[in-house]
Amino acid sequence: MENLYAALTSVKVLRCSVGQIFNSLANGIRADHGEEGRDTKFLSEIEELLNAVTHHLRDVEQAVNNLSQPPGPLTLGNTNFLSQECTQERQALYSQLVLSYKWTDKIHEYSNHAAALLSQNSLKRSYMNPGSAKRRRTQTSSHNVSPQAVDTVISAIDRQFNDMTMSISRPFATNAVLQVSLGRVLQAVIAFKGLMIEWVVVKGYGEAFDLWTDSRHKVFRKITENSHAAMLHFYSPTLPELAVRSFMTWFHSYITLFSEPCKKCGSHLHCALPPTWRDLRTLEPFHEECKL
Amino acid sequence: MGVTILHQFPMLENRTGPQTIEFLTKRIVALGAVQMGQFLVDCDSYISMPSLGPQRTVHVLHNSEQPASVFSILETNTKTIPLVADGLFDLLMLKMTPIYTKKVAKIESKGPRFELADFCIKLGSVTISQNFKGVLVEVEYRPCVVPSNCVGLMREFLQGFLGSCVQSLPACLQNKMDEVYQPMDTIQQYLDHFLNFRKMAGYSG
Repeated sequence: MENLYAALTSVKVLRCSVGQIFNSLANGIRADHGEEGRDTKFLSEIEELLNAVTHHLRDVEQAVNNLSQPPGPLTLGNTNFLSQECTQERQALYSQLVLSYKWTDKIHEYSNHAAALLSQNSLKRSYMNPGSAKRRRTQTSSHNVSPQAVDTVISAIDRQFNDMTMSISRPFATNAVLQVSLGRVLQAVIAFKGLMIEWVVVKGYGEAFDLWTDSRHKVFRKITENSHAAMLHFYSPTLPELAVRSFMTWFHSYITLFSEPCKKCGSHLHCALPPTWRDLRTLEPFHEECKL
Repeated sequence: MGVTILHQFPMLENRTGPQTIEFLTKRIVALGAVQMGQFLVDCDSYISMPSLGPQRTVHVLHNSEQPASVFSILETNTKTIPLVADGLFDLLMLKMTPIYTKKVAKIESKGPRFELADFCIKLGSVTISQNFKGVLVEVEYRPCVVPSNCVGLMREFLQGFLGSCVQSLPACLQNKMDEVYQPMDTIQQYLDHFLNFRKMAGYSG
């Protein structure tokens, strides 16, 4: 590598000195050659320059001799094909390179922000969590709950609210899937893992109960999103029962989804949507845009 | 099927029907609505032969929102009987011509249909045998099925783009505020408005 750099530098020097010769030849005899014997002065200057060129040429030859043959053909990937097209304008490389550079820069910036945010909020709820031994034990306790215990907790919550009916099914082995009907306002499917709420889908009255498709109404898709936020907010590994109970209390406040106006702006509609957010502590209704 | 409110938009002196529709279209598009096709609600009325006792009227309505259904409302002196049937009901009515002689001109409301988030808005111009009579605005809020839940919300939305001419709810909704809304309730609202238009135009029935 060193040799290669040396060779490239010597080639550069040679080109410089050749350039100089042509430069002075083109200029011809200048004023600083004086009046007397200016031809000889000029000739001697050219001769000097030519000597420098021969000297530099020798340098180049020496440097080239020092270079070793590269082992095997060079693999350049797709850049090989660049030699096929020789006009630079038609390759349009520069703008694409700038664009991709900008993208990488942006991705780098965003991922930095995301990493900072995620490290602050511990939303990891899976077994993959490499926490301390103690933490892992408490987590297991919210996952491995007997089906009877889950049933008792849910039926206790069911009794607490008159206008919310719940039914439990277990299509996936021991884990419960809860179907909730909230008055005639909305329905929800909540998937549990032990006593941990794992997934929530909110749908309209009369839509099919199923875990995989979104509601066809925009309001309920928005509430599904908000329920996910609430489920993460209420999650507590040490008191799983309390987490489910608080989530259900929060969820029950949607019974007034269409009838109660936003607490902040006082109107029902904003962007053609009713107040889809309920405050996590006070349960007051807010529009998505008004809650801040 | 969500709660639907049908509202008659008052005509101004210096505006024609198409101009009013265009005016409302501009407003609704400014709110962010997107046009999704056209709609049509039509109504035929048949009156029974006088020789067969007290007079009865059958109104047969079609709604492009429920294209496979035929809605009919039978009016006697004492009560009204609603019925939802499939397309064959039209053919059945043809067989009934000895009893029910068609007498009244067809009335229909048609125009563009818009969607805005979960709202569905229809701007219909009402015509009786091709003569323009007025403008009916239908607003459906699809996620909500119980009228009492979303009265305030609907009123706010209607006033938002129709102005202060929106005051009270349709009469036929007042006594079923806590029931689940049915397509027949929309038809009932259309029929009420159609009968008003006919009365103003001087048709009997």
